[in-house]
Amino acid sequence: MSPLNARLFLRSLLLQAGFCDERRQGLGFAWAIDPALQGAYAGDAAGLRAARVRHLAAFNAQPYAAALPLGVAAALEARAAAGDPAAAARGGALKDTLGAALSGPADAFFWGSLRPLASAAAILGALAARHFQTPHPFASGALLGLLVFNAPALWTRWAGLRLGLAQGEGAVLVACALPAQDWIRAVRGAALFAVVAAVAAALALPLGFSRPLAALAFAAGVGLGRFAGGPLRLVAAAGLLGAVASAAGWTGWAL
Amino acid sequence: MNVLASGAAGAGAIALLELDAASVGPFLLSRPVVIGPIIGWLAGSTSTGAVLGVVFEALSLADLPLGGGIDFSAPVAAGAAAFLAAGPLALSWEAAFLTGLLAGWAHARVERSLRRGRCAQARREETELALGRPSRLGAEIAAALAVQAAGTFAVSFAAFAVVGPAAARLWPALPRVLQGGARAAFLAAPWLGAGGLAASLWRRA
Repeated sequence: MSPLNARLFLRSLLLQAGFCDERRQGLGFAWAIDPALQGAYAGDAAGLRAARVRHLAAFNAQPYAAALPLGVAAALEARAAAGDPAAAARGGALKDTLGAALSGPADAFFWGSLRPLASAAAILGALAARHFQTPHPFASGALLGLLVFNAPALWTRWAGLRLGLAQGEGAVLVACALPAQDWIRAVRGAALFAVVAAVAAALALPLGFSRPLAALAFAAGVGLGRFAGGPLRLVAAAGLLGAVASAAGWTGWAL
Repeated sequence: MNVLASGAAGAGAIALLELDAASVGPFLLSRPVVIGPIIGWLAGSTSTGAVLGVVFEALSLADLPLGGGIDFSAPVAAGAAAFLAAGPLALSWEAAFLTGLLAGWAHARVERSLRRGRCAQARREETELALGRPSRLGAEIAAALAVQAAGTFAVSFAAFAVVGPAAARLWPALPRVLQGGARAAFLAAPWLGAGGLAASLWRRA
């Protein structure tokens, strides 16, 4: 691991720290790429200043996918500093295009698939640890969930950065050849299985709630969640039903 | 430790963990299923924090933070609810759940306002560079993190020092009908959220 790669990687973890409506991750991107610019433009203060201003422009990408555009832009800035003035403009254009193109699949993979899988794994892990009476079941579950998510997320960031730095524009072809849709489908299927398994395992716990009603609420979430515009409206409806049931004197739903 | 001091400690922990949601990482340390047990443990009951964390996790998992959009802050909601239920106020779970929802809603509004304010930072850096002064990118990033943590601390501390004590006094006086409705909402929430998530995964799979 070269010191430059390590510094870019660590700084890329703060990509979103300066997030604003106007430039999105622009400030964080400029901070992340700065060690590469300082190395490329060492002894050329005007070139360094111009490069820093270039990378303060608006930039937006899914945070785990942003490492590849970061590596590509850093590689092309090094070429620009070495005497290829068009490389800087190509780097800027590629940075924006890659950020936009990679964000869709990365959102679907990390937010839409891997995050539910990790959360369900955390809950299943905690329930299993509790069942086997291991110490600190909640910490065990949380650690399992964090591992399930962060191992691929950190690897994606590291590999994307290395690929971009090593291959520059050539990294785009490698990224395009990845079977991203297959990965999304596989992880989404695993997440669905894990969520249903977590629900089934939780139904076996003492809930303080009638099990048939818990199952009914789950079914209502399945059938109505999409039309209600999110679960919070269904929760409000459940509250109204509970109030009506309490007013009518029926408290059998709460155990 | 008195209520205010323990509230400040809890709000500080939430402020640090919340940075993971939209500023550092993210490593999922700010997800309710993680932040709930941590804050519950700090407040005195890990299992209470875990239960409230799972409830908010189920409610918020189907929300994708696309384009950095945040309509509701699940980390602050789960952290505040866990502290109020597990901490010195010992609110009932349903009262803590509703107070957590309020804190999460308020924090999302604070976050939006902070984002608007950060637009000046990049412009300031451009001006500094144009004037030939040294780059202050590191200081700008540190300032953004500090202000974000301060905003989260303020919302969480207000929940612990103002809203929580008010809820603790008002809750027993509420009519049984309202208490029953709140309990039904709390008990149904994780199942409704998990059902919506399962349907969403099924459709897209």
